[in-house]
Amino acid sequence: MEVSHSVKERTIAENSLVILLQGLRDHVTTVELRDESTASGRVTNVDAFMNVRLAEVTFTDRQGTVCHLDELFVTGRNVRYVHIPDDVDIRATIEQQLQAIHRVRYFGGRDKGRKEFPRAKH
Amino acid sequence: SAFQQQTTNTVEEPLDLIRLSLDERIYVKMRNDRELRGRLHAYDQHLNMILGDVEETVTTIEIDEETYEEIYKSTKRNIPMLFVRGDGVVLVAPPLRVG
Repeated sequence: MEVSHSVKERTIAENSLVILLQGLRDHVTTVELRDESTASGRVTNVDAFMNVRLAEVTFTDRQGTVCHLDELFVTGRNVRYVHIPDDVDIRATIEQQLQAIHRVRYFGGRDKGRKEFPRAKH
Repeated sequence: SAFQQQTTNTVEEPLDLIRLSLDERIYVKMRNDRELRGRLHAYDQHLNMILGDVEETVTTIEIDEETYEEIYKSTKRNIPMLFVRGDGVVLVAPPLRVG
């Protein structure tokens, strides 16, 4: 399970619902944009700012014109809705994403490595 | 740890009022003349929300060319499970009772 390499992004994701969208990686779904256009495709990445990358996309613009795109990047600000596929268990997906972040955060064990939240020294 | 969120039973801030509506049906007014009615499954501090069994109503106003009166038209559609980005949300309330 892939997790962002950035501490800042992991923290933002862990504390908001974007973490659910990150768990939609490899699912096919529809993203509705602010400008009323829609993009249906396979989610390849969602970052902490809700920027979405899709592959094999059917893009329907505001006027209704349909086109097919190999890849599409949507800025987080431009997302209005994301349809959640029926086969996604929301609670389980969020828990799996949080566990992936914890595996990365606590890698190496208690006394090894650089700590994300250092304990205060006496 | 700094990241353990407290769950309290008292209402301390406006977001707590939304917490009271978890798993209930709610009404959400959104920007661009949209309204949502659905079951609130999750929300966060940005008001990003996950709504189940949603009905979206989009209202448009057309002006009659002859009489210049305003005609309100609304389009509805249903979506089984929807993630809503918080910056589009204007208000959250219990479902409005009609009639």
